[in-house]
Amino acid sequence: MKKILSLAFCSALALAAVQGPARAADPIEIGVIANLTGSAVKTSVQMTRGVELAADAINAAGGIDGRPVKLIVEDSENRAQEALNAANKLYNVDKVPAAIMFGGSGLMIPVAELAKEKGRVLVNTSSSSPKLGNYPGTLFSILPLDDIVGKELGLLMADSGAKTAAIVVPNSTFGLGVAEAAAAAFEAKGGKIVKKVAFTEGQPDYRADIQPVVPAKPDVIITAGYGDDSRAMLKAARELGLTAKWYAAYPSILEIENKDFLDGKLFGVDNGGYSQPAGKAVADKYGAKFNGTADLMAHVYYGYDALMVVAAAIKKAGSAEPAAIAKALPDVVKAYDGATGKIAWDARGQRIAPPIDVIEYKAGDFVTTATRN
Amino acid sequence: MLDFAIYCLTIVAVWSVLGLSLNIQFGLTGLVNFGQILPFGLGAYAAALAAQAGMPWPAGAALGLAFAVVVSLLVLLPARRLSQDYWALITLGAGELFRLTALNAPALGGADGLTVPRFADPHLALACALALMAAAWFMAHRIARSPFGRMLKVLREDEVLAATLGRNPVTYQRTVSIIGWAMAAAAGVLYAHIVGYVSPSSFTVTETFIVWTALILGGPGSTLGVVIGAAAVQLLSVSSRFVAGWIDLPADVLANGRLALFGLVLVLMFLFRPQGLIPETKEVRDAERH
Repeated sequence: MKKILSLAFCSALALAAVQGPARAADPIEIGVIANLTGSAVKTSVQMTRGVELAADAINAAGGIDGRPVKLIVEDSENRAQEALNAANKLYNVDKVPAAIMFGGSGLMIPVAELAKEKGRVLVNTSSSSPKLGNYPGTLFSILPLDDIVGKELGLLMADSGAKTAAIVVPNSTFGLGVAEAAAAAFEAKGGKIVKKVAFTEGQPDYRADIQPVVPAKPDVIITAGYGDDSRAMLKAARELGLTAKWYAAYPSILEIENKDFLDGKLFGVDNGGYSQPAGKAVADKYGAKFNGTADLMAHVYYGYDALMVVAAAIKKAGSAEPAAIAKALPDVVKAYDGATGKIAWDARGQRIAPPIDVIEYKAGDFVTTATRN
Repeated sequence: MLDFAIYCLTIVAVWSVLGLSLNIQFGLTGLVNFGQILPFGLGAYAAALAAQAGMPWPAGAALGLAFAVVVSLLVLLPARRLSQDYWALITLGAGELFRLTALNAPALGGADGLTVPRFADPHLALACALALMAAAWFMAHRIARSPFGRMLKVLREDEVLAATLGRNPVTYQRTVSIIGWAMAAAAGVLYAHIVGYVSPSSFTVTETFIVWTALILGGPGSTLGVVIGAAAVQLLSVSSRFVAGWIDLPADVLANGRLALFGLVLVLMFLFRPQGLIPETKEVRDAERH
């Protein structure tokens, strides 16, 4: 066993020796951690592509003070252990000052613990757990907190004249976070929650979960979710003959199972940046690089902005040291108008007050009907 | 780089303990435990709950071991009158029950998980992991070499034969489960303090099968084999990341290729060396001559 171990270490050390000290034209390496295999792959790939588009844009403009950006993309397999392996490699071996990550809080928090210990930067593009606020100076979120989007969703429901609502969300930090904030805003305006369903993700069929909603006859249904789970959820609702209108946080990330079922009956609030010129420009770049925008999802914009603000922080600080980046980040976002709109952070580096678009699903398209903030 | 090596060794040591625990259950006794992640998770959650309640870590460790012993007896209750196939189903179900309970119970942190105090010094974490591995190794080795261990092997080969020798299979299975589960729970307690956080997503069925992969790869029944298997699985997974870094392909293609390569290595292993890297040695004793 000793032989095998020492062999492994020798080869590992040889790897490390290849990397020399940084020079002016050396690339600045930034880590990316995403679920490239396992579950929730599509969204992760989209985020990674967004980061790649940003790297292309930065390098085409001559890099950061002459130094190009180089991405090191690691797979987390949607497992906490592998996310930690990936982060350990990035922070300890590749010595990246900052990593951009896509993953749920179950993966994000252990990596944040490591980043904090190592004094590095972690940019969150996907998770909205309130626990992420415990890492000020280490973790910065590009994705807005759920309670803001949820609150806007609840107000939108109340404005529509609905009196009763049911909740159908995945049992995840994201689903529950949206549901709680939306329900609170809806109830404050005199609405009533008549049924609450939080389904366990990863099942092929949700009929048994959604069945109890049918007799409750809600005016509207609060929902959130993405990927195959959202498709299966909508399929079950259609088969059970639910006729209520749907109100979703980020409706464009739902997988629409049947166009006719939701036509004119799906509403929601989304981050309002995408429809602005900066967002449109990113969508065009995406179309040019990845053969059209048919599969484009909102995660592209979050990935894009994540790298753009890190690059801006490095430029402003005049250094790629993690402490300098962490210090400069809150300043540079104030002046940054990105693909996800203006970014405002609270003292913990969590995104607040994003621009909000009100969306309606009409004839197979998500149409923006109003803008807030 | 050294930090990374320390981290890798720590993880290998923790997973080795899980492998050693499974080895005395399956490798020696033939108990098909498809819920090996359950005692590991119990240990981790006990450490987290104790920390949340403001108790010191030894309290969490004691709680973890106690949980594991009690739950192992509970799981054994329906399994003891059933054959090995059902044992697999019951343990698989028990593991998922635990994960889903943790996901849905706010007291256990739900999907958000629980924070645990981390080892301030990675060297200390490594030392603890190695110490635990040494202890588990010593115990597994002693069991394998003892008359008790030989009876476990008889049990594995033929329960009826063991019964005809006047031994009650259930008693043996119970003892082995308690020892194995306590060992895995200890690994879980340590893991929680290394990572600093526990959540249901860390204790899925996938993790159970990674322990199984290590065991089958290393050689079931062989104490040294299972540790080598655990090291091979973890280090292969880590080192393939470096190989992927040298190849210029889209990241998602590389990630899938990495897993495919991992699968290919396993398939080739099982084709050409089904007995594992370090096969169990057959002890030949001639009772007449002694």
